[in-house]
Amino acid sequence: MDMEMGLLSLLRKLRSSSDKELRIVLVGLDNSGKTTILRQLANEETPHITTPTAGFNIKSISSNNLNLNVWDLGGNAKIRPYWRNYFENTDVLIFVVDSSDRKRMSESTGEFNELLKDEKLKSVPIIVLANKQDLSSSMKAAEVAELIGLVKLKDRDWQIQACSALEGTGLQEAMDWICKCVKK
Amino acid sequence: MLRFLIIPVKDFINKMYFGDFFNSLYLFIRPLIKWFLHRFTNLSELQRLVYGCQDGYRRYKLVERSLNMSKRPQIRHLVYCLEERTSQPIAEMHIHPEIVNRAVHTVVLAKKINPKYHPEFSDQLARCIEAIYGYKRLVTIIDQMRLEPYDSENHAHEHKLKALWNNLMPDVKLEARITKQWQEIGFQGDDPSTDFRGMGILGLENLLYFSREYPGTARHLLSHSQHPTYGYTLAVVGINITHMAWRLLKSGIAKSHFYNLSKIHGYPTVEHFHQFYCYLLYEFDHFWMNAKPNNLMEFNNVQVKFEKAIVKVSERESCHFKMNLSVESI
Repeated sequence: MDMEMGLLSLLRKLRSSSDKELRIVLVGLDNSGKTTILRQLANEETPHITTPTAGFNIKSISSNNLNLNVWDLGGNAKIRPYWRNYFENTDVLIFVVDSSDRKRMSESTGEFNELLKDEKLKSVPIIVLANKQDLSSSMKAAEVAELIGLVKLKDRDWQIQACSALEGTGLQEAMDWICKCVKK
Repeated sequence: MLRFLIIPVKDFINKMYFGDFFNSLYLFIRPLIKWFLHRFTNLSELQRLVYGCQDGYRRYKLVERSLNMSKRPQIRHLVYCLEERTSQPIAEMHIHPEIVNRAVHTVVLAKKINPKYHPEFSDQLARCIEAIYGYKRLVTIIDQMRLEPYDSENHAHEHKLKALWNNLMPDVKLEARITKQWQEIGFQGDDPSTDFRGMGILGLENLLYFSREYPGTARHLLSHSQHPTYGYTLAVVGINITHMAWRLLKSGIAKSHFYNLSKIHGYPTVEHFHQFYCYLLYEFDHFWMNAKPNNLMEFNNVQVKFEKAIVKVSERESCHFKMNLSVESI
């Protein structure tokens, strides 16, 4: 009996050391594609059938031996003020930009700068996803990084990644960066 | 005499439906049971279901199951045709001559049922087929509406969007097509077109129907949605409820409701789907206000609980969702 218990706790210890739980927060303006990205990461069958997120979605995803709890917070202007309630203990922040929507780039930059000022996100690594690369009108990742002011960031790790949530491209690269970043 | 034999055996079969083990056991001995019952009642399984089950969901569901499980080539072909004919839904006027009557004819021939001795059977089976095919047809029509994206260049779409505004805000003029005013009725930004997304034109049609048919209730919900603490974004929540109604329809969970509806109205129409939506949206508002959430971030939690409650009611054989219109008089 004792031996069994001992074995069980040993197994549990082994498991917890390899499967570290991480907290990833996914934010960005409404219609930037956060929920599709989340559902694509979770390998869902129909990632594109989404509705505007009222509130948030959360999913657990395993990648590179890590357990990621990804919080997808609704981008609606009405609920953006609640984002910061979810920032505590965040390991990596993902900021999603709709690269095809030039008109809203300044609004996106404004929200991004607000996040940088947040005390709870101090020195938290940030990856910006330049989404909707499947559309020909989309800006390239470098242009997005420039407009949003990412290049000027010196106080933390950051990365820009082009992706298409619809086609699922660029997301694995983003996951790899996140995992590399927390393993450091 | 016949009844004495049917009832205990029927109960026995019903119990067998429980659990996987009994299910596979049932599948295994089903031909034997069928043979036995046929010998002693002189009725085929379909006849026993049509005569022995209460009209409505229960009967239609068991007839559907019986058809799907049939090994007779004619019936298998019929099941295949019913499925095939839903890929391009036929006009309402053709449902009876092209689908229902033909299907009944096929069954009567295949099962060698003499209409002289069983005059009622054909009529009753026709009602079953109408409900079964009608549901499949509705799923396809609703899916087609969902797949049609909202298009700002399409005048009909734009017209409907403006009509939605006028129904909800009859006293306030919309200043422009692109305006922050849309947020007052619960869209996310200054252009609602991106909010329809995965639900396409279906999301708009649902909201429009609700605001047109129940203007008083719709404005009542709008006032709830503007509540300082329990407020929510009406249009966005409405689109999420469209998603829920579609999921329930597509997964077959809503069959109990729609089959029971067919008992009264025959094959279901798009209007019946809108009614189902209105029921869900109205009840969700009620559920949300009762849950006293801290803010809109609790939407998913509340929505999941609400959906569980609806699924639970759908499991009842007598399930029939009806709008309680008491609010309309306020």
